[in-house]
Amino acid sequence: MTQEPKVSLRGLYKIFGANGKAALKHVQDGMGKEELLVEHKHVLGLQDINVDMQAGEITVVMGLSGSGKSTLIRHLNRLIEPTAGEILVDGIDVMGLNETGLRELRQGKMSMVFQKFALLPHRSVIQNAAMSLAVRGEDEATQMREAQKWLDRVGLGGYEHHYPAQLSGGMQQRVGIARALTANTDIMLMDEAFSALDPLIRTDMQDLLLELQEELHKTIIFITHDLDEALKLSDHLVILKDGAVIQQGEPQDILLNPCDPYIEDFVSDINRARVLRARSIMKPLAKGAKYAGDCQINDNLESLIASSGGETSKTYRVLNGEEAVGQIDMLDLVRALVPRISSTQA
Amino acid sequence: MAFYDGLFNTLGLSDWCAGGSSAAPMSMADLLAQNSGEATKGPFFPFPSLDNLNESCGSIPQSRDVTKGIEEGFLAAKPAMKSVLDPITQPLSWLLDGALWLFTTTPWFIMIPILVAIAFWASRSVAVTVFVAFAIVLMGLVDHYLVAMQTLSIIFVCTGISVLLGVPIGIGMSKSDRFQNGAIPILDLLQTLPSFVYLIPLIFLFSVTESKLYGIAIILYAIVPVIRLTNLGIRLVDQDVIEAANAFGMTSRQKLLGVELPLALPNIMAGVNQTIMMSLAMVVIASLVSAPGLGVNVLRGIRNLELGVGIVAGIGIVLLAVILDRVSKAALTRVDMTQVKH
Repeated sequence: MTQEPKVSLRGLYKIFGANGKAALKHVQDGMGKEELLVEHKHVLGLQDINVDMQAGEITVVMGLSGSGKSTLIRHLNRLIEPTAGEILVDGIDVMGLNETGLRELRQGKMSMVFQKFALLPHRSVIQNAAMSLAVRGEDEATQMREAQKWLDRVGLGGYEHHYPAQLSGGMQQRVGIARALTANTDIMLMDEAFSALDPLIRTDMQDLLLELQEELHKTIIFITHDLDEALKLSDHLVILKDGAVIQQGEPQDILLNPCDPYIEDFVSDINRARVLRARSIMKPLAKGAKYAGDCQINDNLESLIASSGGETSKTYRVLNGEEAVGQIDMLDLVRALVPRISSTQA
Repeated sequence: MAFYDGLFNTLGLSDWCAGGSSAAPMSMADLLAQNSGEATKGPFFPFPSLDNLNESCGSIPQSRDVTKGIEEGFLAAKPAMKSVLDPITQPLSWLLDGALWLFTTTPWFIMIPILVAIAFWASRSVAVTVFVAFAIVLMGLVDHYLVAMQTLSIIFVCTGISVLLGVPIGIGMSKSDRFQNGAIPILDLLQTLPSFVYLIPLIFLFSVTESKLYGIAIILYAIVPVIRLTNLGIRLVDQDVIEAANAFGMTSRQKLLGVELPLALPNIMAGVNQTIMMSLAMVVIASLVSAPGLGVNVLRGIRNLELGVGIVAGIGIVLLAVILDRVSKAALTRVDMTQVKH
């Protein structure tokens, strides 16, 4: 990745409390979260966050509650002011913006989807979807046309004149997504957008998001506490613990090489066969090997196991489109399914 | 010899004390004691109040000097206050007089349908509308139509002005904690000050023949709930929605008009309902300072011990109160319904 990141955070710190700047020194000198709270009555929100988010990718920030992930996403549009650090969007320092500049950034560059939907209860669905355009002062016809387009796209055609309270949670969040899409911004911030939904609807919404992303290629920053969700959606995964990044990178990579016991613990409960892809475990093509069949690089291991019928002696050829790029021995595949520490040990 | 003589002597203040002698007139009790020739025997250890200290030391003022000082201070400030307040409050007189004229000169066969129509428009409830018509007709039947209209006109004007002033003040309080902290003691004072006490300084400031005198008293008394509930309503708006408004880059004006006020509306309406009720309570007391209406009849009932007159007027006030309460409450629930349409 040599291209300029769309959003990047440099040395970002956030300390909640009366005098964050003073407490910052202690943190930079290596004081921990608990110590800071007990000795200085300040809460450490984020420490030394350095993350690059590439254009057109879904960056997922994952962590348990209290890990600072919601705090992190609110720094991107400065709903929360950082104590120290830089936030660059398209190379422009967000911290340098004045009030008008910041408002323009929020109106034109970023849109946000919220865990609790945060729709306007006194406005109809279509008015909610058109909110960002109304804020920008677009004319009524444009507002309605755009809002209608995106409501149809998220599957809410026919509900334009209902009120949010009349819709189910899943439908309300579709309105939330339509509202963000109508804003037509490059960057979408999604703060635990699907966490309040029940599992089936959540899967639907994840599929919807991936489908939309396929055609729109937005820069999406997605916050979640659910590792399955994170692995399903992310191009770039950032794992947060106690306000610090403990590992970030390609999700397959994190799954195969967790660098911290905390993450190992996390990934040990995952259905690896469904998450891991052929490209992550394939080996270079060996000369003269006999292949039992072909698979695509993005096929998950589950489908490979299904097509092998459980046979471990076979070898498969991995294709990227038409071109052969590697091979997978079923024995390697089985090894990859076992985490470094199994869930029974953990 | 008074109890505190020794104290002033030991402090070496006896010269200073002898220098001043209270010019305040004697109380009847003092006069009687002086005439009977014997010193009144106080308690063994009297409370060191101004009066008791004054007995030992003439330079210390008596308590009655305090009330006298307040009165003199107020009277001294009166011309300045009057020259500022008079022109500002003059439109209130015009409004009250105009409304009074409009409500009483419009013939009943036009006025009653208009009022019933307003009741229906605000409440959208047939039951409430029928009740309003019935109550007005009933008052007319016992020849209380005109006085009821006088009371109603005063309430319309005073409530209207209370809302016009109160809502912006409430908005201001919700936006600034400092303003809120400053305003709350004043609101508490306005709410707890006995309603008669409102009238005293106003009588000094304005002429009793001016309608703004009772107008100001009613507004000061009734404006508090609408201020408080506007402030509360805006502060209670769902923080998630406010965050969304910020995230989409709303200006504070867009946020106020598009999000905060609409979501606070049920609370504001509850405040308006309370304001109407309190102005009705005050309009009766304001009849002491020449406010026309049903209150005058109540006052007549008390002064002349005319039991029947007082009770009929009292029931008229109750009917008015119920009308206003039901209509404004029905309007309130209607506003609430637009929030959750199930």
